[in-house]
Amino acid sequence: METEIRFTHKSLVESSKSGDRNSQHQLYELYVDAMYNIGMRFLGIKEDAEDIVQDSFVDAFKNLHNFKYESTFGSWLKRIVINKSINHLKVKRLPLAAMEDHEYHLTEEQSYEPVDAMDIEKIKRGIEKLPLGYKNIINLYLLEGYDHMEIGEVMGISVSTSKSQYHRAKKKLVEIIKTL
Amino acid sequence: MDNFEKHIRKNKAQFDGQKADRVKLWANIEAKLDPPKQKVIPLWKSPMLRIAATVLIVLGISRLLGVSFLSNSDSENSFVSRELQDIDMHYQGLVSYQVQLVQKNESLSDADKAEFLSFMDELDVEYEQLRLEMQNNLDNDLVLEAIVSNYRKRIELIENLLRQLNKSKLKDDDYGYTL
Repeated sequence: METEIRFTHKSLVESSKSGDRNSQHQLYELYVDAMYNIGMRFLGIKEDAEDIVQDSFVDAFKNLHNFKYESTFGSWLKRIVINKSINHLKVKRLPLAAMEDHEYHLTEEQSYEPVDAMDIEKIKRGIEKLPLGYKNIINLYLLEGYDHMEIGEVMGISVSTSKSQYHRAKKKLVEIIKTL
Repeated sequence: MDNFEKHIRKNKAQFDGQKADRVKLWANIEAKLDPPKQKVIPLWKSPMLRIAATVLIVLGISRLLGVSFLSNSDSENSFVSRELQDIDMHYQGLVSYQVQLVQKNESLSDADKAEFLSFMDELDVEYEQLRLEMQNNLDNDLVLEAIVSNYRKRIELIENLLRQLNKSKLKDDDYGYTL
């Protein structure tokens, strides 16, 4: 089953590899909104997100011969968008992860009572209000479905730092939502 | 994973509310991509086709060169031969008319006529050499000049001969008159 998922849109990908503009456009149409939303979540500015999405598609089509179906095309493309977004933030010298005293983080699982935390609109607004480092980790873990190993790779931090930062971010998010 | 996390992941689609400006973004993407590739049939992979193509190219090139060489020499030859034709037409008439005058002249002995005609034969030989020279495509102007002077020599020779004959005739007449 997993194998079948990896080969999603295989014919489109293959014809795009050989430079077929129509197939490239079909792939673009399938993924552009998802990629744009990722860009917006990380960068928050429409123009920046558009630049990142454009560059990502150009890079993807130019390097499509390197895509060997080790993941789905969508995951591969998403990785490009996320890497570019993180690099963009690095260039802007914005703090990627809130690093304060994460070494002393308590690992016990805390229970987050529902309160109003199940209201998606509030969660969205709450995420927007998070410090940038927390926001990135919440985005990567909860919305992009990355595990801590992948987050570590993308953000250039260790797996344990990713875990501790995530727990802090989640706690902070619930706190913010309660105030909304 | 707690309920909060599960709830967010379950409703992930609601976080993708933004819509991209598809037309604008695609135009920018397309501008940065290479022009679409044309499908190329790899003919060169077949050795037979490779040889055939090489032969065709060689034939084509040699034909092109050959045609241009021939057409050059043709036009040059036709130009030169036309010029030569004009010269021949002009002088051959004059020469043959005067040769006939000499041959018909009764006051000349057969020996004198033969001697005169042998001169003409020599000039004929020279003329043939000049013609061949011109076919070798040397300096055509010089060769044409030489041919013209060849004709002039003949005419001059004939004119001198005829003048001398007339003079001697006049002398005879004068004597006759005085006597």
